Order: sequence, then structure tokens, then C-alpha cells
Amino acid sequence: MAWLRDRIGWEDIAHLAAKKEVPIHRYTVFYYLGGMALFLFMVQVATGILLLLYYRPSSAEAFESVQYIMAEVPFGWLIRSIHSWGANLFVGVVVLHLISVFFLKAYRAPRELTWISGAVLLFLTLGFGFSGYLLPWNTLSYFATKVGTDVPAQIPGIGPLLAQILRGGSDVTGATLSRFYGIHVAILPAITTLFLGLHLILVQRHGMSLPPSVERRGPGRSMKFVPDFLLRDMVGWLTAVGILAALAALLPWELGRKADPFSPAPAGIRPEWYFLSMFQALKYFPSEIGGVPGEMIGVFLFGAIAAALVAVPLLDRGASAGRPSVWWNRAAVLALAGAVALTILALLPAGRPAP
Amino acid sequence: MTSRSALLLAAGWIAASSVPAATPPVTPAARQAAAIGCVDCHLALDDDRVSPPAKAFADDVHARAGFTCASCHGGDPRAEDQDVAHDPKKGFRGKPSPRDIPQLCGTCHADAAAMKQFNPSLRVDQLSEYRTSHHGKRLFEGDNSVATCASCHGAHGILHVKDSRSPVYPTRIAQTCNRCHGDVGLMKAHKLPADVYAKYAQSVHHQALMKKGDLSAPTCNSCHGNHGAAPPQVASVANVCGTCHSVFADEFKASPHWEAFAEMGLPGCVTCHENHAIVHPTDEFLSTGKEGKCTSCHEPGTEGARAAAAMHADILSLQRETEAARAALRREAEAGMEVSRAQFDLSRADEALTKARADVHYFQPYAVQQAVSAGMTVARTARAEAVRMRRDREFRRKGLFVSLALIGLAVAGLVFKIRDNDRRRPPGA
Repeated sequence: MAWLRDRIGWEDIAHLAAKKEVPIHRYTVFYYLGGMALFLFMVQVATGILLLLYYRPSSAEAFESVQYIMAEVPFGWLIRSIHSWGANLFVGVVVLHLISVFFLKAYRAPRELTWISGAVLLFLTLGFGFSGYLLPWNTLSYFATKVGTDVPAQIPGIGPLLAQILRGGSDVTGATLSRFYGIHVAILPAITTLFLGLHLILVQRHGMSLPPSVERRGPGRSMKFVPDFLLRDMVGWLTAVGILAALAALLPWELGRKADPFSPAPAGIRPEWYFLSMFQALKYFPSEIGGVPGEMIGVFLFGAIAAALVAVPLLDRGASAGRPSVWWNRAAVLALAGAVALTILALLPAGRPAP
Repeated sequence: MTSRSALLLAAGWIAASSVPAATPPVTPAARQAAAIGCVDCHLALDDDRVSPPAKAFADDVHARAGFTCASCHGGDPRAEDQDVAHDPKKGFRGKPSPRDIPQLCGTCHADAAAMKQFNPSLRVDQLSEYRTSHHGKRLFEGDNSVATCASCHGAHGILHVKDSRSPVYPTRIAQTCNRCHGDVGLMKAHKLPADVYAKYAQSVHHQALMKKGDLSAPTCNSCHGNHGAAPPQVASVANVCGTCHSVFADEFKASPHWEAFAEMGLPGCVTCHENHAIVHPTDEFLSTGKEGKCTSCHEPGTEGARAAAAMHADILSLQRETEAARAALRREAEAGMEVSRAQFDLSRADEALTKARADVHYFQPYAVQQAVSAGMTVARTARAEAVRMRRDREFRRKGLFVSLALIGLAVAGLVFKIRDNDRRRPPGA
């Protein structure tokens, strides 16, 4: 042990962990969302690696290999269902984490980069969801990807080229599948590792942020990260494992039918729930606004919202100066209500057709 | 006489004297000139007998190929005077009698050299076929009430057979035949039933043709022939049905019924399936119930009746087993299990059931049993797979229960530890 200690020097890490404190106040519960997101990410990495052992990324074999995983591989059904359900829980927790960090104003100086790296991680998470959705190569995922890859094509100038690069051709084919596979298991994990590393280092460097209302009251109680906060974190993680196990055992993730590029798109094609609000919003844009295609304007609008989200700490300077950011909060509530309403509309059978 | 009239007369004289009636004028201008006289007068007359043919001929397939009224009716189309135009000396034949129509149409349609000018791939044996038909035989015996070419194809607005408006287009043939064969008075005179269309309308063939739009489905001419229309002979019924149902026909010919039916003068397939009202066959055809067909010849207790009962029982058992397996797999699919491979495998049992039903036409229980046996193996395997999946599901539930219990224990342990830590070292202290 001494030999290892001399070479690795974990005492520094142990020292750092022993020093780390977590504030205790009425909003402490939201601190657990970050750890939960990290835990679910690790679940995705672990189950994803196991799926890699059997998955074959070609249009001829992808569906059959997932079928084999679900029916033949011992506990393959469990791993695949946990990966699919886990992806949805992961996105949900990341979104909740972002919302809580926004309203607790944790992006104030000096944590601007922590927020920016977190926002980028949200987009990377959505990228994981989008690229992974196609991999089983079933009818729903195939046609949803066709619709999804049409969206970047609306960007003027580089849009068609971007869609071409994304698809590996002019349409969604086996080339798209192998491309999405590469993006899902190599490119996105590599970029995510960098941003996640940066995000965690920044969190360690700046410690936990206190909400303005708590900060104004002056120094309060706190607990040790190790073991007090970590033990509480572990309760959440174990609960998440239980939920994932229950979902996998009672509601195994459906495989559907193998994609047939020559068949007409079935009715009710829609993306995963986290893209539904954008999917529904695009339907409300008229075909043309002032000679510009409506969808192009929609894509621009989404791009502007995404850019504003990343740049929140730079735009909301008042929050860093200690002023309440009322308008930002109102805009965020409005955006969230809009996203929820659009998602519900997209889920309602009557809400699916274009208005 | 105007110069135009003189020109038309000259052209008419040339046409009448040197061009065979069935050959169309060579140039477009000559065609127009040849047609204009008849059409102008017949339309101007505004007579219900003579005007409609002139109107209808504009869309006629022959008009499009350059033929004119005179090509069939003769006469001088360029003459301004009706007597001159309708002069028999100029080849005018007027309205051909039914007896003359086949020969008149055959002038071109039985002449390979003439037809080559317009449609080299078109058959030229219609007239000789017609002579072998019941229609043709009766016509040439002097019965003018039978169908001739014009009865089915029309006289002046003849459309291409592939034109969906044509009375001889597959979806219209039955109604065209029914114009005469549904005429009770006419059929009574010929001692024929007048309800064949009503029966055909109940058949699977009519459904396939008219409801599913399957143009390859049989209509009257598919079994009776078109130009050589006649009912199939008793001995040839299996051959006629076999043109589409080849497997059944081959099996029937290999069966003991083939010779027995021939000896008894029974018309093959029609004996069990009817001729016009051919309904979808069911397994009950083999039963001893109301729908049973075998018992009409085989008395209960005879070897034939026992064979039918055995085949019936075998087929029903495979059907039950297949349905049970399908239902079991459906239950597993609804419970979220991956069943597509098992469902695909089960489709081989459906194929075996189809084969068993086809093999009934051997009329040998062992032939049906072979197909049933193969299907039963597949269906039982699928059902066993469904049972395995149900057990697997139960295992998953038990596993989940155990896992949740362990997780619950671990959570309880953590909560205990947290409380213990908090008690010994209160947070923030």
C-alpha cells in the first residue's frame, strides 16, 4: 500500500475529499441532481460497453443483433432495457439539473464556465439520445431519424452539406447507421469526457454555489462531502438502480419492427420525448415568412435559444452583481411552460397533425 | 357541281374501284375526305337510328387506325346524294345482319397480312375460334339471337380491350355477358339458366376481381373462353381450373377421385366447389355437418366418410395448436417479451396448414397427416417457446423482487449509517 501511495499519491485526493463541504439549506436537495446525472451517465457507459459486445452496426445486422441481445444473450434484455430506460432518465435528470442550477443562479461569477460546460454537456446528452435512437434500426427510429436529419438541412448555406455529412449521403441509409454508431460510441464519448472533466474540475474548484437568498443570510450549516453527502448520494443512486431494474423487468424496452426504407412512413412517427417540443413547434411555422422558409426560421429560433442558454451567465450580468434577474426567470418559466405545452400537444393524438 | 364535289366524287370512285373495303385511306387528308361524307350526313339527319353510330365512331379504335364507315359498310362516302352514297353497286352493304358480322370483322381480323399493318402481335384466330363456340355454331345454324362480335365489343364505339371503359375489360366482362345471359326470356328460349351472374357475384373470383381489383382473377371468359365460348366439358373441368389452381389440379388427378369422377360423369372440381357460385372453401367442407361436401357421396360409416373425418380432425387440430401458440406468443409480446423470431418460426405452421388444406385434394388421410405433423411440430415448438418466455418473465419478476429487496436493505443500511453519523457528528457542527 505504501508503495502504491508513494506512486499514486491518493492522500491528496483523500485530503481534498475530506475538506470538501456541502452547504445545508432548503435547496440542498437540488445538489443531488448533479451526482445523479453523473451516476446515470456511468450506468450508460457500463451498459453501453456491454451492448457493444454483441451489437453489429450495419443495416443488415443491427436489428437482428439487438433482437439477439434481447432474446438470446443471458441478461441481454436487462442490459438493453436499462440502457434505453437509463438514457431517458439521464436526459430527464440533466434537464432538471440545468433548471435547478438556473433558478438557484449557480451560474453567477465565478461559475460561468461551469454553466457553459454544463450546457454543452446537455447538448452532448441530446446528441447521445439522437444518435443512439437509430442504432436498433427499427421502423420508428429510422423514420424519426429521417425527420430529425431534415432539420439541420434547413440551415442556409451549410445546411444541406451538414445533413449530407450527418447522413453519409442524401438519405438515411446503412451509411447513416455506421456514422451514428461512430458518433455514439466514439466521438460523443470523447468530447463528453473532456467537458465532463472540465465541469467536475470547475465544480471542485469553486465548490457548491449558494443561492442568493441563502447567501444573503450569511454563513450557514454544512456537511462533509465524504461521507455525509456521498452516503445520501448513494441512497439516490441505489433508488435509481431499483427504478431502472423495475422498468427493465416490468416494461422491457420495445424493439418494434425492422426498418424498411422502401415502406411508407407509418402514422404517428415522432422523436423521443425530449425532442417533441421542437418537433411540435416546427409544425406551427407557416411554409414561408416573408419569402423565407418557415422551417428555416424555426431552426434559427432554436439555434438562438440554444446560444442564449449557453450564454446565460454572460448575458445575465445583473445576477452576478447581486441583483435579482426577474426578467430572466420570467423568460425561463415561459420557455419551460411552452416546452411542456408543446410536448403535451405532440403526445395528444389530435395534436400530431400539422395545424 | 362544285370543284370540291367533283374532287370528292373522283376520290370516291378511285376508292371504290381500286381499294379493298378493309384498307384505310393512306394519307390523313384522304382519310378525312373519306369519312366526312358519311359523318356529315348522318349527324345532320339527327335521327336516333343513324346519328349515334356517327358520333360514337369518333372514339372507335378503328377510326384511330384510319378506318372509315365505308371500310365496313361500303358505299361511296364522297357522294353528296344518298342514293349514290348507298349504291350497292359501289359496295354498299348497309347494316350487316348478325350472321354476316363475324365474317365482316374476320375480313381483317382473320387476315394475318392485313393485321400486320396495324398490330402484328394481335391474334387472327378469332373467327375460327368463334366457329367452335356455341354462339358461332348456333349463328351459322340460323339462330340470329346469339352473340356475335358486336354483341360484346360494340359496333361503332369499339374500344381497345385494355381500355377500362371497354365492355370486354376484365372488370366489365361479366356484366357484358349478363346482358344476354341474365335475360330470362332469351335464356329460357335457349334452355339456359339466367342466374349465372347472380351466382358469380357471390363467388371468391368476383370478390378478387371487383373488390380487390385483381385483374388476373377469373371472369366468364377465363373458364369459358372468349371467342370460342362454350362450357368446359365434364372431363376438362380440372384442366380448366388447373390453369390457375395447378397444385390442386395435380393432386386431384393423382387422387382416387379422378377416375371415380370420370366413371360417374362428375365434373371434377365443380362437384364440391360449384361452378359459378364458388365460395371460399372452409374446413367444414370435410365435416359431416351442413356445409360438408363428402357426405353427399360417402354415407356415414363408410371408408370415404371416415377418411374425410380423419382429414377434418387433423386440420382442425393443427389450426387449434397454431392459434394457441399464436395467442401464447401474443400474450408474451404484450408483456414486453421479444417474440418476433418465434412468431416468424410459427409462420411455418401456417404454411403447413395451408399445405394440409391443399393436400386434401389427394383425398388420402396420410397425405394431409404428413403436412399436419410437420406443422404440429412447429406450433408446439412455438408454444414451448412461449412457455419458456413466461417462465423467464416470472424469473425476471422474482429477480426484480429479490433485487429490490437487496436494494431496500442497502438503502436502509445507508440511512442507518447516515443517521448514526449525524447523531455522532451533527452536520454543521
